[in-house]
Order: sequence, then C-alpha cells, then structure tokens
Amino acid sequence: MDVDDFEDILFTPLDSQNSLGEDLLDSDDEILFPICDEEPNLWNSSANPITTSGTTDTSPGRHVSTAKPLNTREQSQHGLNDQAHRPVRDRHWVTARIEAMIEKIVDGLLEGHGVLTITLKSRAALSRRRIAATEADGRVPEPKERDINFPGANAQEAWNFTVLVRILELVHGSLTDNTIMTKRDIYYRHPDLFVKQSVVDRYVDDLACTFGVHRSQLNLTAGAKGLVAGNFALDQDNGHQLNGMNGKEGMLVPTIGENDTIDLTRVQWVLVVEKEATFRSLMSSPQWKMLGSHGVILTAKGYPDVASRKFLRRLTDNAPHIPMYAFVDLDPDGIAIMSTYKYGSYRLAHEDVTPTDTPALSLPNIRWLGLKSHHMSRTPVGEDDTDTAVLPHLQGLMRLTARDRTKAARMLEWDLCVEGGPEQSWRQELQKMLMFNVKAEMQILDELPGGLVSWLSKELGQAQGIDSDCSDDGMLF
Amino acid sequence: MSKQYLTLHTVDSAHPKASDIFALAPTSTQLLSASGASSINVYDTTQADFPVIQSLDKAHPLGIHHLVTAREEKARRAASAGFEGKVKIWSQNEDGVWSEDGEIVDQNKPGEMWAIALSADGQYLASSSINGKINVWSLNKNEGMPRIREYETKGSFGLCVDLSRNGSFTASGHENGSIYIFNNESGRLAHSLSGLVHPVRTLAFSPASRLLAAGGDARIIALYDVTSGEQVANFTGHGGWVLSLDWSDTGEYLLSGSHDSKAKVWRIETRACVATHSHGDKPLWGAKWLPKVPQKSEMFALAGGNNAISFYREAAG
Repeated sequence: MDVDDFEDILFTPLDSQNSLGEDLLDSDDEILFPICDEEPNLWNSSANPITTSGTTDTSPGRHVSTAKPLNTREQSQHGLNDQAHRPVRDRHWVTARIEAMIEKIVDGLLEGHGVLTITLKSRAALSRRRIAATEADGRVPEPKERDINFPGANAQEAWNFTVLVRILELVHGSLTDNTIMTKRDIYYRHPDLFVKQSVVDRYVDDLACTFGVHRSQLNLTAGAKGLVAGNFALDQDNGHQLNGMNGKEGMLVPTIGENDTIDLTRVQWVLVVEKEATFRSLMSSPQWKMLGSHGVILTAKGYPDVASRKFLRRLTDNAPHIPMYAFVDLDPDGIAIMSTYKYGSYRLAHEDVTPTDTPALSLPNIRWLGLKSHHMSRTPVGEDDTDTAVLPHLQGLMRLTARDRTKAARMLEWDLCVEGGPEQSWRQELQKMLMFNVKAEMQILDELPGGLVSWLSKELGQAQGIDSDCSDDGMLF
Repeated sequence: MSKQYLTLHTVDSAHPKASDIFALAPTSTQLLSASGASSINVYDTTQADFPVIQSLDKAHPLGIHHLVTAREEKARRAASAGFEGKVKIWSQNEDGVWSEDGEIVDQNKPGEMWAIALSADGQYLASSSINGKINVWSLNKNEGMPRIREYETKGSFGLCVDLSRNGSFTASGHENGSIYIFNNESGRLAHSLSGLVHPVRTLAFSPASRLLAAGGDARIIALYDVTSGEQVANFTGHGGWVLSLDWSDTGEYLLSGSHDSKAKVWRIETRACVATHSHGDKPLWGAKWLPKVPQKSEMFALAGGNNAISFYREAAG
C-alpha cells in the first residue's frame, strides 16, 4: 500500500469512506491505526531517524474496532483527548497531510478560487488562566483554529501565507529525504523572509499542533540548549560513552536513545538550575568535585527546551527514587520556568502526551528548593527586648517591574495557583512578591558566608532529611 | 517606663487556605482580617474567645492585599482590595452583619489601585497606585462612587496611603522614599516630605490630624508635623522593615509592626518604646489597636506570616 492509498482513505469524505470495503479496513487497520502502547520512538537522533516500519512492531494482534468512525477530521479534532485510540501518525502520514494541504492550494489555483486557505491549529495564544470548568479535568487544552488566507487583507497576511508555505515545503523535504533539521536550519534558509527565529518556532509548533504530532515527527529538533554535569555515565548504543564528570564546563544535554544505558548509581539528587551563570559558577567552584560526585546538575538556560525535559524525564523514569530539585530566581519568571519543568508548556501540550495518555515530559515530583522569600530574611528571633539584631543586608534585592507585577497577577489566575489548586506555595510566594514588591536572583546567596555552594549543600542535605551539620557542609558530600 | 501587655487569646490558622494574613481592620465590636485567601473573616471582640461570627466568602478570588474600616462607629463601612485589582465596599447593617455594597470602578487599567484608606465617616476612600497616582473617591452610591481628586506624583509606586480623620488631608508613601501630603479641600500638594530615602511602606495620621507617622525599609519611624511639614521625631529600634503603623484612640501611643515579626508600642510624649512583642518568626503585616471601650483596658491585635491573630490587653495596674 503506497502513500496515495493512505491519502485516499485518510482524506476522503466520510460518505465515500463508507463505500470502502470492510475487508480493506480490517486488513489494513493494523497499519493505519495500530495502537501504540509506548511513546513513539522519540529518543532517536539523526543517526537513527524515525521510520514508519517501527509502527508495525507495536502491539501485534490488537485490533481497532471497525465500529469506530474513521473520519480523520473528527479524529484530529478530538486529537489529544482521544490518545488511547489515536492512529499512529508517522512520517508518511505527516507527509501525506502536508501534500494534501499543498494539493488543496494547487487545486485552488487551477480552479481559480478567489482565496487560498490553510487552516492551522494553535495553542500559542493559550494561557493557564481562566480554564473553563469543562476543561479542568482534561488537562490538555483544545487548540484554537485560525485560517491563513492568500490573497489576504493586507501585506501581513500575504507574508504569513508565504512563510507557512515555505516552512511546509522545507518540512516536507526533510520528511521525504528522511533527514533531521533543526528549527535554526529552517530560519537560516531564509532569514530575510522569516525575519526572526521565533516566527519559525511559532509556525513549526502550530503545524505540529495541527497534525497532532510531536515536533520530532516533523523531523525537526531544536538545537540542544541545555548543559548537564554530574556523576552519571551514559553508554550509547553506538559504543560512545559519556561521563558527566568529564570536562570543566558540563556537556550539552545528550539525547538518550532507547537502547542506551545510563548509570545513575552514584547520583543522590538531581538539581535543575534556572540560569547558566549559576551553573557555571557552581562548576567553577573548588567544591564542585565534591558536590558533583553525588548528583547531577542541569540548566536549560531559562525556559527549558524539549530536549532538556526529555533528558530529565529519562532520569526520573530510570531512577524514580532520586529526588529532583528546582533552583530558580524568586520572581514570576522563575516560578513559571519551574512550572514548565514540572507540568510542561501549556502552549506545547501536543509535545507532552504519549499515545497512552501518560505525560511524557512532565516532572510531577520535582521539588522547589529555592529561592523563596524566607531565604531572604534570616533574622534570629529572640524574645528579649534588647535584641537589636539587624537584618543581614543582602544586596541584590530588586523591585518588581510593571511586567513582573502583571505576570504575577496572571499567574495567580492559573489553574495551578487558584485557591485550593495543587501549587499553593507558588500562590503564596507570588502574593508575597507582590506585597513586598521585591524579587531576588539566585546570585544573592553568593553574599552569604560560604557562598552558593555551601547554601546548596545545606539545603540539599536538609531536603533529603540528612542530619546536616551547618558548621561543616562539605562533609555532606 | 515600660508598659505591660498580656496575651489574651490567639487564633491559630485563622485563614487555613493562606500562608499570610495581610491586613487587620477593627470596628468598635469586631475585628476583620484578610489574607492570601479569598475570604474576609469577622471576629467578635466583645467575647473572650474572639469567635468568627461571619465570613465574607469569595470576596477576592486571588487573595486580598488591603482591608480597611471607617473609624466612626456609625459609619459601618469597610473596603477591601484584591490581587485581581478590584476594590470592594462593604456595609454593616444594624445587627452587625456585613454585605457587599459596591465596587470602585476605576477608569484606569485594572490593578492600578493598591493601598486604600477610608475617612472616619466612611464617605471617602483614598487609593494609591503602581504609577504613583493618588486618587480620592466619594463613596456616595447615588452618584456612582466617582473619583473626586486625582493627585499626580513623580511616578514612584505608592505603597501606602492614609486619609486624615477630619478628611482634609491625604498622605501617600512611595517606593522611592517620598512622602506627600495633599490638601483635599484645595486639591493641591501641601507638603513633599523627605528623610526616609528607602521605600515607605506604611503611614498614619494621628487622631487629631496634627501628626503623620511614616515607616518602611529604613527601619525607622519618622514623625512629621502636618501643618509645617517639619520632621519632629525619629523612632529607632526596629530591626526589620516597618510594615504597619496605628495610633491609639487618644493619640498617646503608636503601635508598629515589622518584617522581623516584632511589634512595638511607642509613647509619643517621651518618644520612647514602652513595649515590644514577638509574633512568631514571620513578617508582621498587621498591628492594630482595638477601639477603646469604657471600663476596659486598651487592647491591640497582631497578625502576619504565621497565619495567627493574637489579641493583647494592657496589664492592669
């Protein structure tokens, strides 16, 4: 069965589908709609790209009921709500969808239609605020649809259409050649057309959302952004071995393949830090050898990329008993970054779910190590009236900007932070930030005696319930 | 000479859904409290165990940052400001039961009303904003609670505001350390006070409207003469930011609460601290005198980051 047949079945209207023989459906549903018990082969790198044949070895012998409507439009509308019954959307399926889109445009041109339209689904405009009650249980939000028209009402719309068609063409090329591209590659093909990287990112995410697939299934990856170091070893399938203690500056977050093995036996904690500067200052500290020999430190340099989240998720899946901590700035962005590690990106929800509906990238057990407001006011409390203890005057407290205040107020409306929601401590810290109108960066702890490393040693020790002796933090590690 | 205050009662976990109690506001027989939770609690201060007699649920869904009451007993008015940006007006009926009585509708963007203050008769409300604008509103419902005064400052966040009891002055404290006194009759700036440099987080007119007390991150409390604008005293002793100030009914004492969880009572006449109390180990957001009741000794209440409200009474003799 070749691609054209796929398309025929997938893209014919419901009425004509009924005319297809039951035999055909029965014999082919295994290929068309096999149920995936596992996440599609996402860990592959360019060395081992996703292939369609991979789908045939999942769940042989399981059948999709033929009573299920085969209307693909409905399928994609239900999309992520209906993970358990989702057809496998492999490279060929995506290629077919793109070709169908282009074909529609060509047809439109040939038939002289006035307006050419591509309909995109997007979560880019969604936020965690004001979740309708009906969606509150579903977790994955419904995307919004928008039409990209040509000719449009103005130059902006014409540009939108051009950008989208060009990206479709490039994605189609990489799918048919079965090569992996980065989003950066796409941008550099036509920097003058795309203007900025975020334009490409947005359309690529919208395309993935429209097709209901992971971005990796468009044969697109983001360039590795995160850095990782620590006492772990990764034996890759191809014979390479990576050791996290090598190197003075950490390594780019590696892709862990399905058949790679990772050794975490000496790891007692995983620490995720928001900022590269903090990561580097830890790596360059004389105590790093001691600290790092007991844990893994990772930074995704701000809001985490999918690659870093996948890496952490693999660590957690391999060794769920190892506690994972988030160390972020005390400001609205710090909490939002932690939220992205913990719950994933709301706008990239289609990246976040496996066909069996278990979150693929979230880190529900990650704990908030700091920075919190009480870390800033370590005043000794005495009952005596003569106590004139002065707040250690920590430099580096900053005022919230208007943007920070707006962001904090919006975050209070998140379903996570509403009264009775799962993240009450986030709500409380956001409220206190607004009350004091103060924020602080992690670097503020460098001012403490012993600096950041001894603070971390102590907090990690306490967080793990180890009887920590403040006078000799180094001994813990 | 120091004074002795005894703890009468403590309400623990006063707002179970919140971490911090951000504001206390007394009436002659009640104390209202607000926190990061959405509801306002009303306590009966005439009973020994200070029971909750009313809870104003879902007042502000994102939490409440300011809550004030009008001083005069017959005013029967309160106002609350929430993190979502709204200011609600509350009225009390003859039986002491509170109900919502309207909202200030700001023509500005939401979230621009931060600190609030009520005049003693409950007829006027002053508000500060993040961009430094200070507004005064009439609470006349028939007129739609209009804005009647708008004062421009230099744009620094107005962290606190107060109205004098006779209604003639509005004072505002700002993040850059400025303090302004406006004359509500003329609608003009009366005084621009300086001296604290650091953010001013609380200020309060004395009952006779002759003095203004102000405190904040400088950890001192400055006393200004409202008529001349001169600074007349400095109270030092707090180890943390000063977050709240309140005058006793007679104007003899000033109660202050600090970030380092301590409350202090200052005698104005001698400019001396006469009592210090610790309230847990978290910031003390609210420190309020309860209105003086004949034949009873003076009382105050403290609340803050430990989610408890403690009631204190002056030791007899």
